[in-house]
Amino acid sequence: MAKETTSDTTMESLAKGRSIGAFRCLNCFERVIPPAGAKTYKCPHCSFEWRVFWISPTFPRIRGPVWDVNRQLAAEEVRKQRKGGK
Amino acid sequence: MALDRKIAYINLTTGEIETKPIPISIRKKFLGGRGLDMYLMYNHIKPGVDPLGPDNVAFVSAGILVGTLASASARTHVAGKSPLTGFVGSTNMGGFFAPEMRWAGFDHLVIKGKAEKPVYLWIHNGEIEIRDAKNIWGKTVHETQQIIREELGDRDIKILTIGPAGEKLVRFANVMTEIKNAGGRSGMGALLGSKNLKAIAVRGTMDIKIAHPAEALDYDKKVITQVTSAKVSQTQGRIGTPFIWGATNTQGLVRVRNFQLNQLENADDVEAEAIDEYVIGMTGCFGCQVHCRAKYIIPEGPYKGVYDEGPEYTAQGAFAAEPGCRSTLTILVGNHLTNIYGMDLLETGSLIAWAMELYEKGILTDKDTDGLELRFGNDDAVIEMIHRIARREGLGDILAEGGLRAAEKIGKGSIKYLIHVKGMSNLHSDERPTPALALGIATASRGSDHLRSRPAIDLYHLPEPVLRKIYSQPVAYDGPLTSDYRDYEGKPWQVFWHETCYEAVDCLGICKYHTTFLGATLPNFEEWSKLLYYNTGLEMSPLDIWTVAERAYNMERLFNLREGLTRDQDWLVDRYFDEPTKLGIPGIQGKTINREKLKKMIDEYYEHHGWDENGVPHPETTKKLDIDKEPSHML
Repeated sequence: MAKETTSDTTMESLAKGRSIGAFRCLNCFERVIPPAGAKTYKCPHCSFEWRVFWISPTFPRIRGPVWDVNRQLAAEEVRKQRKGGK
Repeated sequence: MALDRKIAYINLTTGEIETKPIPISIRKKFLGGRGLDMYLMYNHIKPGVDPLGPDNVAFVSAGILVGTLASASARTHVAGKSPLTGFVGSTNMGGFFAPEMRWAGFDHLVIKGKAEKPVYLWIHNGEIEIRDAKNIWGKTVHETQQIIREELGDRDIKILTIGPAGEKLVRFANVMTEIKNAGGRSGMGALLGSKNLKAIAVRGTMDIKIAHPAEALDYDKKVITQVTSAKVSQTQGRIGTPFIWGATNTQGLVRVRNFQLNQLENADDVEAEAIDEYVIGMTGCFGCQVHCRAKYIIPEGPYKGVYDEGPEYTAQGAFAAEPGCRSTLTILVGNHLTNIYGMDLLETGSLIAWAMELYEKGILTDKDTDGLELRFGNDDAVIEMIHRIARREGLGDILAEGGLRAAEKIGKGSIKYLIHVKGMSNLHSDERPTPALALGIATASRGSDHLRSRPAIDLYHLPEPVLRKIYSQPVAYDGPLTSDYRDYEGKPWQVFWHETCYEAVDCLGICKYHTTFLGATLPNFEEWSKLLYYNTGLEMSPLDIWTVAERAYNMERLFNLREGLTRDQDWLVDRYFDEPTKLGIPGIQGKTINREKLKKMIDEYYEHHGWDENGVPHPETTKKLDIDKEPSHML
């Protein structure tokens, strides 16, 4: 019995929703698009700042945090959470 | 055809060798690789045997698709009772060994007894010889392979070997092949060492007949496109698995200074991109297009100019995060040394970090370390301890016994600081903010284990409808699912699903990086059903393959229960519950695992499996899976 090969599997159909050129901010998890070639990128939603590496000219990824910026933002946010009793 | 490869029983005590065909009925129940090994293990290992004694049995196998047209069908599986945990010992590695073993005529080796003197096996086109290993005993992993190839006069021979650590019975010694393909975790290298079996050399030219070659070729091309177009594959092909660090350490999901912190701050030299500066190219395993393995040359120091491969993500944890070091060089050298000694770098790094915490707390002293200043951040001490463990010198000899035995010997409350499950050290991931990942390591069959059931894609914040599509096939699931990795709801199903997915891929012999492990769009059950049919002629639905995996995982559970596993051992050490995370993004600071919620997750996970509240399979579960008569001794 031959197996049908043309229709998409579940995983192939999911792949169609893939976003090229974007990554998720690793603090607020919003999807963001850094400008081509950017070495750092500040998330427009939460202000956390990331160092960016380009796998290819159109494919960015987060290499790591901009340490001082994010450490300060995190401390402020945690302070706020504690004050708010969260 | 692809199913005509045999099983060989090799008795090293008597020198007897017997070969048999593998009945199709057994194939359909367990496929091959890890699944069939688990069946064999439950049938051939008597309860309660000493893992380093002659009654333990070693199993070496290829997955059922290995060596066919299916992409990344390269995986070798090695099993036996673990010298480290006393439970399931099982390891899986890439490279080229398993395809060559199939071309030499064999899918499974069952190795019993103990050779009087060191030996190696030479397997070629249906023949098996036991040969003297005196020329290679004591040699490193790399030297051994070179000597065997020269001795047998064929540079295309593929070799599975142990290094000096396996000979010295370091309880977390690896089996190795090629430069860095490592069968780590659970000490299968020590098992081979206990049998005086240094290596297995294979060479074969017996073609594997593909059942439907034209369709297999067409379909495999489609799967290759699916794999290579995934963002995760492109990333791995560019900078290897160290890419994971960019997500985990950035958020604060990494275990640092043993378990005291959850982020290695200002560690830019540990990042994948820093390691990449020393990489001279990428390479891959048999039949793989991703090429995630880096090739590098050590740039300076005593090992300057030495070639090796890797390092993987695990090395960033073992030789940087856990011991609190920040040097690219320590990662490159540590990776090299554990490769040539044949030793699990994850276990090695974890135990060194544990010893460092003990030293800083005064539980270990200069007397115990023979003057070595075993402080966090001391790169030289890390490298020195790798040597000492592999050679079983001083404190290294104690650590070579594994964490639980070492804690017993050291005493003074040292066990409180040991980060383990079932006696196996954890990966350097910090699972306090991620209940799904915590559940996975708590319940994994071979001890703390990120490769048994980890829903790694839980970290990606995928939208709920996407999760629903992934986790509702091939078995329907309408329970909760959530995009937030900090939640407890729905996570038991995800762990169960991934556990079954990874068992299946290990039965097939395909690399985990080609399934739903690090990438959410990579192939799984639907694709495998077609690959299996076109390559072997076996008609199995996605659900049939799922059932095979469930069956095999239940065999693992039954083996562990027979060896004395209790529900208490599906659990985490107290620090997970009592010490909150301190660093990272705001959303994960102050996190611990909640005991009650973990208990509830474990109950739910057991229910998904069809196990009772003690984690014992219900009689109806074993009956449904047709393993209620095991051990059946059919093979």
